[in-house]
Amino acid sequence: MSVTDQPVATAIAVDPGKRWRIARTVAGVAVLGALALLFSGFGVASFAVRVVLLVGLVVLAAGLLQGRMHKFFSSPSAYVATACLLLLVILAIFATEISPQNPYDLRQLDIMDGRQPPGSTNFSGTMTYHLGTDEQGRDIWSGILYGLRVSLSVSIVATLIAMAIGVVVGIYAAWAGGRIEAVLMRIVDFQLSFPSILVALMLMAAFGRGLDKIVIALVIVQWAYYARTVRGTALSETRKEYIDAARGLGLPDWRIVFGHLLPNCIPPLIVISTVQVANTIVLESSLSFLGVGVPITQPSLGLLIANGYDYMLSGQYWMSMYPGVALLAIVASINMVGDRLRDTLNPRLTR
Amino acid sequence: MSSPVFRGLAVAALAAAIPALPLAAQELRIGFASEPSSADPHFHNVGPNNQMRRNLFESLVGTDEAQQLLPLLATSWEPISDTAWQFNLRQDVTFSDGSPFDAHDVVYTVCRIPGVPDSPSLFTTYTGGIVDMEVPDPHTLIVHSAEPYPLMPTEFSTFGIISARANGVDGAAIEFSPDGCGDLNYPGTQAFNDGSAAIGTGPFLMESFRRGEGITLVRNPDYWGEPAAWERVTMLPLTSAGPRVAALIAGDVDLIENPPLQDLERLRSDDSLRVVQGISNRVIYIHLDHEQVPSPMITGTDGVNPLQDIRVREALSIAVNRDAIVERIMGGVAVSAGELLPPGMFGAHEEGDLPPQAFDAERAQALLAEAGYPNGFGITLGTPNDRYINDAQVSQAVAQMWSRIGVTTEIDASTASTFFSRRNAQEFSAYLAGWGAGTGEMSSPLRALLATRNPDTGMGGTNAGRYANPEMDAILMEALRTVDDAAREQLLRDASRMAMEDFAIIPLHYEVSPWAMVATVDYTPRADQYTLPYDVRPAQ
Repeated sequence: MSVTDQPVATAIAVDPGKRWRIARTVAGVAVLGALALLFSGFGVASFAVRVVLLVGLVVLAAGLLQGRMHKFFSSPSAYVATACLLLLVILAIFATEISPQNPYDLRQLDIMDGRQPPGSTNFSGTMTYHLGTDEQGRDIWSGILYGLRVSLSVSIVATLIAMAIGVVVGIYAAWAGGRIEAVLMRIVDFQLSFPSILVALMLMAAFGRGLDKIVIALVIVQWAYYARTVRGTALSETRKEYIDAARGLGLPDWRIVFGHLLPNCIPPLIVISTVQVANTIVLESSLSFLGVGVPITQPSLGLLIANGYDYMLSGQYWMSMYPGVALLAIVASINMVGDRLRDTLNPRLTR
Repeated sequence: MSSPVFRGLAVAALAAAIPALPLAAQELRIGFASEPSSADPHFHNVGPNNQMRRNLFESLVGTDEAQQLLPLLATSWEPISDTAWQFNLRQDVTFSDGSPFDAHDVVYTVCRIPGVPDSPSLFTTYTGGIVDMEVPDPHTLIVHSAEPYPLMPTEFSTFGIISARANGVDGAAIEFSPDGCGDLNYPGTQAFNDGSAAIGTGPFLMESFRRGEGITLVRNPDYWGEPAAWERVTMLPLTSAGPRVAALIAGDVDLIENPPLQDLERLRSDDSLRVVQGISNRVIYIHLDHEQVPSPMITGTDGVNPLQDIRVREALSIAVNRDAIVERIMGGVAVSAGELLPPGMFGAHEEGDLPPQAFDAERAQALLAEAGYPNGFGITLGTPNDRYINDAQVSQAVAQMWSRIGVTTEIDASTASTFFSRRNAQEFSAYLAGWGAGTGEMSSPLRALLATRNPDTGMGGTNAGRYANPEMDAILMEALRTVDDAAREQLLRDASRMAMEDFAIIPLHYEVSPWAMVATVDYTPRADQYTLPYDVRPAQ
């Protein structure tokens, strides 16, 4: 009996790396699927989809750090940043369940409750505005939760799309070389020579307001970063022996590119994409602050800050300050996690 | 010892020894919310320019704080027939170059107005009705119109008079013609901006005009009226509200216009500052699409335009809690509106005669159900977000209130220039905007916003909802032909009441304009929202 069981047990125990790879792939697909579902309008608010999204994200992150967990958490700041980021992501994903008010539903707002200081109760006495309200009677706490969700999802989606475009362009440039590479990289240089906020402002002025439009604008200003990074990495990777070996085996180009080259270009991509998510959040907030981003009835963090900005000098600080703190927390924690990721994943730093 | 340098030093020392108060009191620094595009009085018919113009160039007829007419360069005026007005001009007035003012200068001015090159908006709105001008003697002017023209004196309060003689033209030789008086060596707009042509009869002279930096004026020592209280006036463009308030608090300016509402309480509580406020001639309203079927931004009605149903319009009007908007969004610095011009102005109803629609959400819901929309419908409210005080916030509040009665409302907010071009292209089913009655009487909003649109006569020029009511048009046209003030006022009131009872438009509130200043000066609020340095007084 024990004789027959033995091979099965060893087969499972043999390769923990492989199990992680499978988990990572499944989680990645789940996250992408959940994001697509949430954005396509089907099951927008479905609780199950959002649970899948959260679990998927956590598994994906764990899979990424598999074997290097200890190194990642070797600094105390990593614990704080990761905990903070996880908390904010949970708040954003479950904003609907957590927030006492739906700040995007105009019927739930009451201007009679406008500009109430933190801790006041609403007109009908049914809820407390723990962080106060803005001039429309929007609960700042609920506004922050929903705003976090808008800021995070817009940035993550924009980053993913920009990364996909950038990877394709960068790898193609590196692989094709010659004139194609020169043309593509000059386009990238041209694009990167403009300040991104300026380009995004012009695009938003042309497109008008809306979540989809802001995603498009952010993709347009971001893809070039990825293209440049991927091309650089791919160039150095193509000179390595394993590519020569693959060529020598007579593998078709697409298999070499997607099977061998691309996976080895990913670690630097992950690092810049984490930092870029933070940058994208800041950019989206700036656009909304300047009044060209999200619709005014669906404020993101930047628009919440802008709404309260007029009242800052008048002593009604809470309208701008709390969303500002939330923005600071999310950007800082993403940046710190990104830093730790860079230190963990960068092979050069291990030497 | 008696060298000029020493004497100069001695004078300087003396001046320094004298307490700074009288010197400081002679200079006035004003922080403006918007800056004129030119010093040319006829270049651009827009608020900041018209406000600036009054310092340098006077009109025949003046207006007081409530926009009632008062004598200025004309001492009196009267209709001498159905189609002619006589203006008796002030004697002994000189332009700042010393040339005397007479009726020929008025003719010269009216001749220049249609031909100002590159003008973004001409003053022909006010002079287009003039068919002939006669000058029986240098201080009498007779103006003829084709139709009875009761508003003629009001029109003559809108544009400033420039000198014919200062531009080398013999006034007596000018042949007036409504189609143009020929080439009369008109000064160019640039000549006004650099000061060489800035020759008027006003209480101030222009020292410098630099766009973005500011305008300095000095007292006109030869002004015919009471000399200005200020030797020198500096007008700084401080277009952002926060820095404008900060400049006042820091003592960099003595007076600012339009302090932001949220700061008023704090400014009022400061004893070294003074805040004054007065109701303006500007009404904030929501115009509805009466014409298009289906209307572009309405959903859930199977292609019907519900706004053509008076019950729906009434429901939308009474669903709005105007007092809540005034109190919460406008910080009390506004007055709920029942029509398009506040009480006390010509053609408006007396206080309480045509009160604002009372808030009644239940009745609004009942009316919607009666009209066949028990579950409401969807609508998008267009709004500018940088044109009127708290415009986008007011729109959001209206959206809240409409959503409560089942009319799911979204907001489409954009910057003023985009908003107005889209509004004029009839892209909105409902939009929020404002109208300041430049003439200070009821025919202004009725003509622009509610009269049936006719591009040839200019009627309904801003009627982007395309409200059309021939009955009201008839009353309004009769009013515009009636020279007798009392009869005209009654006709205007009737026309206004008719439109309001038809819920043609949803008036929300009248803006109240505040000014903040140091306690050592005082200013009387004006309905036209102008900040006029001549009227700023050292406080008693």
